[in-house]
Amino acid sequence: MEELAKNLMEELECKTVFTIPVLGGLEIKESIVVTWIIMAVLILLSIFLTRNMKIDHISKRQAVAELIVTKLTGIVEGMIGEKGKAFVPYLTTVLVYIGVSNIIGLFGFKSPTKDLNVTIALAVMSIVLVEAAGIYYLGVKKWLHKFTEPIAIVTPINILEVFTRPLSLCMRLFGNVLGSFVIMELIKMIVPVFLPTVFSLYFDIFDGLLQAYVFVFLTSLYIGEEIE
Amino acid sequence: MNTLIAIGAGIAVLGALGAGIGIGIATGKATEAVARQPEAESKIRNTLILGCALAEATAIYGFVIALMVIVMLK
Repeated sequence: MEELAKNLMEELECKTVFTIPVLGGLEIKESIVVTWIIMAVLILLSIFLTRNMKIDHISKRQAVAELIVTKLTGIVEGMIGEKGKAFVPYLTTVLVYIGVSNIIGLFGFKSPTKDLNVTIALAVMSIVLVEAAGIYYLGVKKWLHKFTEPIAIVTPINILEVFTRPLSLCMRLFGNVLGSFVIMELIKMIVPVFLPTVFSLYFDIFDGLLQAYVFVFLTSLYIGEEIE
Repeated sequence: MNTLIAIGAGIAVLGALGAGIGIGIATGKATEAVARQPEAESKIRNTLILGCALAEATAIYGFVIALMVIVMLK
């Protein structure tokens, strides 16, 4: 048990890979490096898939690219509806990023979402987007007035919600990734053969993609609520 | 001290109770809905999976807190 706890702490600790010597030393953590790797892969893939686009006689590569884009934007559009079309590209990007970073643990990297700082950053980005969308679509006056709806007495709760929403978003994502990681470690310790493969399908792949979906779903729900 | 830590972790995992009840109710209602409208099955399944993922969060919170209690307090 002692050994397991030590191993877990070692796995969860985000190591500093290198330090940039500006402003008294910027520490670059492991999660940032893995994020850069994910970004590089996704950007190269996008460039590769979108080269030489034509209107007719499309190549197989373009067909694949169109399929991916249509499916992903279709999922997000189904969640946010007609009104929030402007947010579809951002939400799709977040969906792809969280989905890839949840299952990148299978390839031997450390998932960035296992670092609490990454999920906090994602949640803060979401809530800033939600409130900015409210201000942009409704105007400052109406946006402020929205805090007193449906009746004036719930104003403190509405203000509190601005802080509890990102908190629950980031803790949900982080907790799920951490939880499935710990459960997988426990299973690997008890039965090292065959069984981890079966559970890995659920905990690593299904749960990781589902959590990406839930994160984007909740963000789009908040946006839809804010701009209506 | 160790006993107390174990008890604390056990109490934290009680949060899983809510998730169990919630997922049970959701699945029961989904079954009813499919029985009533079999043609809407795929839509109901999507909603059910989403609801289960949201309900599961309480269990996950309990689990994370229990783990923190064990690892941090030792």
